[in-house]
Amino acid sequence: MSIERKTGRPIGDLIREGDDPEQLYGELRAAFERECSQAVTPQQGQALRDRWLGRRSGLLSATNDHWLKAAPRELKPVVGKLQNLLRRDLEAAVKAAAEATVRERVQAEPDLDTTLPGPERSYGAVHPARLALEEVLDIFRPLGYTVAEGPEIETFYYNFEALNFPPDHPAVDEMDTLFLKDGALLRTHTSPCQIRIMESKSPPLRYVVHGKVYRNDTPDATHSPMFHQLEMFAVDESITFGDLKGTLEHFVRCFFGPQTEARFRPSFFPFTEPSAEVDITCPFCTGSGCRICKQTGFIEVLGCGMIDPNVLRNAGLDPERYQGFAAGFGLDRFAMLKYSIDDIPLMYQGDARFLRQFR
Amino acid sequence: MRILLSWLKDFVEINESPRELADALTMAGMAVDAVESEAGETVFEFDITSNRPDAMNHLGMAREVAAIYRRPLRAPCTACAESGPPAASKASVAIQDPDACVRYVGRVFTDVEVRPSPDWMRRRLELCGIRSINSLADLTNYVLLEIGQPTHAFDLDRLAGAAIVVRRARHGETLVTLDGEDRDLTDGHLAICDAEMPVALAGVMGGRATEITAETRNVLLEAAWFRPSVIRNAARGFKLFTEASHRFERGADWNAAPQAADRIAALLARTGPGQVLPGRVDCFPRKPKLSRIRLERAQIRRHLGIQVDDADVEGILSALGFEPSSDKSGWSVPAVSHRLDVERGIDLIEEVARIYGFANIPATLPSVGAAPEPTPQAAEDARMRAAVRGLGYDETIGFAFISSDEAERFGSGDPVSLRNPLSQLWDVMRNSAVPTMVRALEWNLRRNQPFVRLAEFGRVYRRAGASYEEPGVLTLGATGTARQTSWAEPAREVGFYDVKADVAALLAPFLQDAPSIVTEGVPSYYRKKHAAGLRSDGEVLAWFGELDPELARERKIRQAVWVAEIFLERLYVKGLRRPTHGKLPKVPAVSRDFSLLVPDAIDFASITEAVGEMPDLDSVEPVEVFRGKNVPEGSYSLLLRAWWQRLDESLTDEEVNGFAAELRSRLQSRLGIATRT
Repeated sequence: MSIERKTGRPIGDLIREGDDPEQLYGELRAAFERECSQAVTPQQGQALRDRWLGRRSGLLSATNDHWLKAAPRELKPVVGKLQNLLRRDLEAAVKAAAEATVRERVQAEPDLDTTLPGPERSYGAVHPARLALEEVLDIFRPLGYTVAEGPEIETFYYNFEALNFPPDHPAVDEMDTLFLKDGALLRTHTSPCQIRIMESKSPPLRYVVHGKVYRNDTPDATHSPMFHQLEMFAVDESITFGDLKGTLEHFVRCFFGPQTEARFRPSFFPFTEPSAEVDITCPFCTGSGCRICKQTGFIEVLGCGMIDPNVLRNAGLDPERYQGFAAGFGLDRFAMLKYSIDDIPLMYQGDARFLRQFR
Repeated sequence: MRILLSWLKDFVEINESPRELADALTMAGMAVDAVESEAGETVFEFDITSNRPDAMNHLGMAREVAAIYRRPLRAPCTACAESGPPAASKASVAIQDPDACVRYVGRVFTDVEVRPSPDWMRRRLELCGIRSINSLADLTNYVLLEIGQPTHAFDLDRLAGAAIVVRRARHGETLVTLDGEDRDLTDGHLAICDAEMPVALAGVMGGRATEITAETRNVLLEAAWFRPSVIRNAARGFKLFTEASHRFERGADWNAAPQAADRIAALLARTGPGQVLPGRVDCFPRKPKLSRIRLERAQIRRHLGIQVDDADVEGILSALGFEPSSDKSGWSVPAVSHRLDVERGIDLIEEVARIYGFANIPATLPSVGAAPEPTPQAAEDARMRAAVRGLGYDETIGFAFISSDEAERFGSGDPVSLRNPLSQLWDVMRNSAVPTMVRALEWNLRRNQPFVRLAEFGRVYRRAGASYEEPGVLTLGATGTARQTSWAEPAREVGFYDVKADVAALLAPFLQDAPSIVTEGVPSYYRKKHAAGLRSDGEVLAWFGELDPELARERKIRQAVWVAEIFLERLYVKGLRRPTHGKLPKVPAVSRDFSLLVPDAIDFASITEAVGEMPDLDSVEPVEVFRGKNVPEGSYSLLLRAWWQRLDESLTDEEVNGFAAELRSRLQSRLGIATRT
């Protein structure tokens, strides 16, 4: 072994009568001192310590085994003394060397300009529509709602008929709906999932359904042919309009802030009765009137109502026994309101400058 | 719809300020978009839902006001002096299609003179956004705005046989409508005809040949009720949307027809000149039967959560024009012709609720119901999203439409085509999300973004028999520098191995064993030999690599762009690997380096395969790959490092030397590679 050559006498050679232990240990000590002077970095210091003082395979434990334990009886006291002396000095030297390397390292390094920026590392952004979705789900999950998605390619039946749309309702038209060549269509809202879930599960039901929906709209600042909708519904034996109000009031306060007031305005949807549109106090001016709310102090944010008995019946539930409420809204619109986004196309261009704002 | 405050006041007392009235109507479901003040007149701009044609006029809106404040409603005055022979002796009306035309009321005016309307009428029309035409046309428009019943005035002397026949048009018949268009009619159209030919397109527009002119002296006035679907089809078919068709297709009131005809007669008698012949020619062959609606008291509570006082229920319904008769458990309410949208008990509950005020229904919270079900694959999705974020990819979302050309180049199989696409660039549902990602990369490159990392979680669409499948896919896009440039480290372009490392990191939480690399069968939209896949359990889970530079060039992308597709539907079903703890070694691993000169034909995977399994061999890794100076053409120099490890005892030099010799011998015998020293 190359290391051992440097120590003069191979450690494997046992000490015999007539050997001069003083000389042997002196050579060993000299080898150590040479190496010690060369150990500059903390890593070299650690290597030095391992090589000489390692518990199992260090050189010192080797001399202990080969020289001390095997020494002839008359040499043992001398060898034992030398061995102990060497151990003591080595330990002290190694410790001193370790401390010295730290000091040298610190001295060698210049002061830092801590005001310089580190190389940029960042989490990727969450898309604002997703961000809004996560916030909404965090509000509804503790209320016992199950989260579901559904197919985007739907049948005419699930998208319209089962939801009580009269066959000649304007929404059914090609002007509003994107159809596939075989007559299937891209769902225009998430409500078909209501039917699918009511068909396959038994009440009590508490569901949040979300996903992409499609309209035959050319993209501009306020329209998009694809956007995200979220719908929540509850079906049970004793769900009331009051429950709908309470649930949505809780929701808009959680999402838009505790000072938010909800206003329920009668409206019309084929799949709910009574139907309402919900206005909230404008989050931008807190109700005092601004450009965004057109000076009304209110912003329309979602549609809702008690599920129409025809819809329950279409889904195989007995409207005499069960009733429920449903509410739906555009997640993109919620995201736009919450994060002050004024242009829908930004949501779907993939512009990194836009997206990075949501990191 | 524009509504004048003064006109409302003709029918109901209003003491509230315009703002108060607007708020009250809005909260009752008649949304006021704007309150304007014009020439001393208050004008409300309403957005009226399609189910409420009854409110698209002043009398109907006044009825809402009357209901909200429980005030009496005054009907418009229809009394007028009649003279001359009975109207029926001067004109006849016959309905041949009583299903499409339920009622047709005619009135005859003689010795009229067409002239400008009186100022007060012109003013009201114009404030409502209707241009004044002449005294007769204005009268019909005025009553349309007042009562909501569309009417039409014919020049009686130009009606052949002084007759009106309501029938389906015959194939080949044509009609020049008031807008001057010559229209071909079919039996799908309901026509108002005289004894010979069509003179009007029922419920949509009158005809030129019989229109009122300066010479008109005698008039037949039409007030009818047409079936909504018939009018809608005609209006759609001709793309001809008029005030009349707008109302008829939403549903008019057959009992408003005589009222409107009488009101016009009364106004004509007042504004003159002209004579109103006695009586109406009222053709009403089959009076539609209206049902009696059951309203249970208990149902009101069941749906709204509160009990509304009987007096309120009756007061509200009566004010809206219903006639409820009460009994022990509720009310029996005959349906009314002016509210054909109200057919069921729930419809009446809605009426009660909206006038009672949604604001007066206290908010409550429902019970939790049943324990919520976990969303399938939610944990997998959450982990994947967090990892993608952690690797620094910004989440993007793109449209799901691509062009059929893109579908052919990026996807396989028959794409899902749209019947009415928004544009030819968006005529199919994407069968690959790569084109969407390439568009987003392109968008950013055009905006000189030096560092782009995008990720999209989305679906692709494909046929599955008679149905469709929408599997989830994660698409990554990367171009520009490997990191945001910084003074603190040298800039480097992102490359294949960066993307590969990201993909491998994303797959890892789902796999028990490391995936194997796939170099064959990589899709052709990737650059050859600059792309690969990762496979596990015989399934390709991901493709990744440089976009084919030719495809990129066509999109005016000149620099290398990298994409990756991770097939989530194959990955998520595996579930997240459950981590298990293995013992940590007590002593450090020992390594040996091997310097190899390798022919280009032998790739790294072949080298690791040749090394194979060996006791205590922990890993084999490439430390340096070099081509060029001092390395012969057709070869590369590889510095290979192997690590050996035994859990709880040190390996001796002799042992490791033996292992290293074995490794060298395997490389020599299996691949013919000699290690250099």
